[in-house]
Amino acid sequence: MTIGLTLSGIDHRYRDLTVLEGIDLTIPPGEVTVLLGPSGCGKSTLLGIAGGLIEPTSGSVTAEGDVAPDCLNPLTYVFQDFALLPWRDVAGNISLVLEDHPLPRAERTARIQEVLALTGLVDFAAAWPRQLSGGMRQRVGIARALAVRPACLLLDEPFSALDAQTRDLLLDEFAALIARAATTCVYVTHNLAEAVRLGQQIVVLSRRPGRVREIFRIDRPIAGRRTDEPDLLAIEARLWELIRGDAVAAEREIHHAG
Amino acid sequence: MLFAVTCRAVFVLLVLCAAVQTASAADPVRLGLLQTLSPAPFYIAQERGYFRDAGLDVTFRFFQAAQPIAAAAVSGDIDVGVTALTGGFFALAGKGALKVIGGGLHEEKGYEGSAILVSTKAYEAGLTAPAKLAGHSFAITQYGSSFHYMAGRIAEASGFDVKSLTLRPVQQVANMVAAVRSGQVDATIAIASMAKPVDAAGEGRIIGWAGDIVPYQITALFTTDKMIAEHPDVLRRFAQAYARGVADYREAFLRLDAAGKPIRDASTDAVIPAITKYVFVNDPDAARKISEGVGFYDAGGALDVADVIAQYRWFQAQDMVKSDADPKTLIDTSFLPTR
Amino acid sequence: MRGRVAFRGGGFAPRPSPLAGAATLIVLIAFWQTASWAGWLPRLFLPAPREIAIALYRLALSGELWRHLGASLGRLAIGWSLGTVAGLLLGFAVGLFTLACSPGMAVVSAFFPIPKIALVPLFIIWFGIGEGSKIATLALGVFFPTVINTAGAVDNVPRGLIRMGQSFSLSWLSIVRKIVLPGALPGILSGFRVTSSIAIILLVAAEMIGAERGIGAFVLSAGNLYDVDNLLAGIVVLSLLGLIVAWAIGWLERKLLSWRG
Repeated sequence: MTIGLTLSGIDHRYRDLTVLEGIDLTIPPGEVTVLLGPSGCGKSTLLGIAGGLIEPTSGSVTAEGDVAPDCLNPLTYVFQDFALLPWRDVAGNISLVLEDHPLPRAERTARIQEVLALTGLVDFAAAWPRQLSGGMRQRVGIARALAVRPACLLLDEPFSALDAQTRDLLLDEFAALIARAATTCVYVTHNLAEAVRLGQQIVVLSRRPGRVREIFRIDRPIAGRRTDEPDLLAIEARLWELIRGDAVAAEREIHHAG
Repeated sequence: MLFAVTCRAVFVLLVLCAAVQTASAADPVRLGLLQTLSPAPFYIAQERGYFRDAGLDVTFRFFQAAQPIAAAAVSGDIDVGVTALTGGFFALAGKGALKVIGGGLHEEKGYEGSAILVSTKAYEAGLTAPAKLAGHSFAITQYGSSFHYMAGRIAEASGFDVKSLTLRPVQQVANMVAAVRSGQVDATIAIASMAKPVDAAGEGRIIGWAGDIVPYQITALFTTDKMIAEHPDVLRRFAQAYARGVADYREAFLRLDAAGKPIRDASTDAVIPAITKYVFVNDPDAARKISEGVGFYDAGGALDVADVIAQYRWFQAQDMVKSDADPKTLIDTSFLPTR
Repeated sequence: MRGRVAFRGGGFAPRPSPLAGAATLIVLIAFWQTASWAGWLPRLFLPAPREIAIALYRLALSGELWRHLGASLGRLAIGWSLGTVAGLLLGFAVGLFTLACSPGMAVVSAFFPIPKIALVPLFIIWFGIGEGSKIATLALGVFFPTVINTAGAVDNVPRGLIRMGQSFSLSWLSIVRKIVLPGALPGILSGFRVTSSIAIILLVAAEMIGAERGIGAFVLSAGNLYDVDNLLAGIVVLSLLGLIVAWAIGWLERKLLSWRG
């Protein structure tokens, strides 16, 4: 029970700056789609549009599929900066997204316990966000997203604020989680290793205005993938070739859009 | 020849120097007062040159309120002051810094000085005489002001306790009248020139005159102990010039005809210009306003010693003046007559 | 270059010490008392702390202090609460709605700088000489800074947290109650420190007109009578009131903002 998304004819402009142009994209149900591109290519904007947080200048997003009855928020985000409420403890932050729904108290507690267990946070239920490391904070962000039993997860560079070691640890945990849940995922990153580690469909976006340059497919299960496998390394090298020029140009650019 | 001319030139120069010398030798006196009609005799003495004749160079220092005049004398900013005898004045005088040396404005039977003004609402509800003030609200400027004192003495004279009045301190005279006109306070005291138009417009009623109930010394001339010790001669000359001003003032405003009506004639008109230099400046209706607003001054600027002592005792009894100094030590009668 | 590298960091990090604060006040008072005893200060117009304490003790004993304090505390509580509630409502409106943002700030910017003391005569006409004008003076004095402060505090709530709330489809009310309000609370509480002091400062102005009782009226009347012992006793009461209120707000902050650690 999961959903797929179809993005058709998406254009987006901030005032006179064209960010995205003519994006047509299908996000297949139950798969991980990675949006890859250099910084400033509009991939986060595209993710915002996909989940209904940003209104595109033109074009539309449609969802297709059945949503499980226990799903409280079909399209659910995980944020780069975690977006935890500092005035709620770990359990409270998860509880926040359940409180608006008429769940029996026992069910709510059960869901919180369940996602805490899934993300290894059971001992941290009463901790304040400020007391946690970056990795633990993002675990809370993922636990919160899982608590609503989403039909589609939208992840905006979820591990880019973490150090390399923590990132690798979390990446493995996360890969195991989504492999089990078989939830549709849209994963935004500029990190090539992450892309080949998680992606079943990798969408390479060009630099501004963002267009779809190429789509790669890696048709093998996420679980058990290792970044040092030869086929994945080959794809990584291909991807780097593709976006290298754009990355150099992006790095030398003066920022206009805020 | 040349020698003679030079001699004369030197002589003229010497005379000129002497003249300048005399002019600058006039003793400076700084007088603190309110820029209202009440110190009119001082305006007359200044404008008619009585102070100059006495060899004094008097500078007026005007204040916005009565209390700070006494404080300014203590701090040495003025030498002589004319102000209302208030709780604050007695508190400062009781600390041994100030002395009353002459009389000023005096409430007097038959002279319309301060009116007891009540709101139309209160009047219609039966507040028609000062004796009925008990239990009503009464606007004053501040606790310890002369209005507070008058309210207290009216209560005494009418046989009720001043504590039965609900006193409303509203800081300014204009506020007191406004509070009565708008009916927010039942009664207050206002000088004739303010009370009469309110009564005439039907926005309030005059139910009596303070002077008919409690004749008393409202304002007085005072100086510092230091001044008395160091410049008694200057004070003596100042007092004499002031007395001349009072004489002109009484001649102009305080003569009554057989029917008890004030006489207004050429002597009245003659002093108006001296007064309009300070109050009602450029007011076309000044003469009428002055003539309606003037209060009573005792002959010769005399001081009502017995009343000043009575006032001091009253403020002491009300616990507003904590000093237990002998009231006689607050008064020096060596400069001006007593009543 | 040769030799030991000298330490050049440090500083720029003052640490609070309540003990040092109290000690400073005690030393100042002791110095004042000593100066009075030694005759360096004119006892007549600047009484020693001992005399002020005696005046205060007498006022407390006679019950006069409590009557004045009761009247003032009532006015402060009502005036401050009215101004604060109204200010919070408008402040949230300005911070949340485009429709209220510019019009609200225009009104606040135009009326905030008006000295409320100058308006006291007008308040008497509008609200009467009784409690109305006094409470209006306090409420208005508190209202404008509360609006500005609240609008700023709401504006400072990270937009990312609000977007997060929206991404989980939280209701508008939930977002305001669970994200905007707690996020703005630190700013709002520090605004309370300012507005409570403003209310105490305005107390004297509010009680200028027609007040029989109240610490402000008492201070004014003592001033008029040059009753310096009582004047300073009243000022000490106002200052203690300020200290107590500041302490109470500090306590509230520790209670409500414990998450800040």
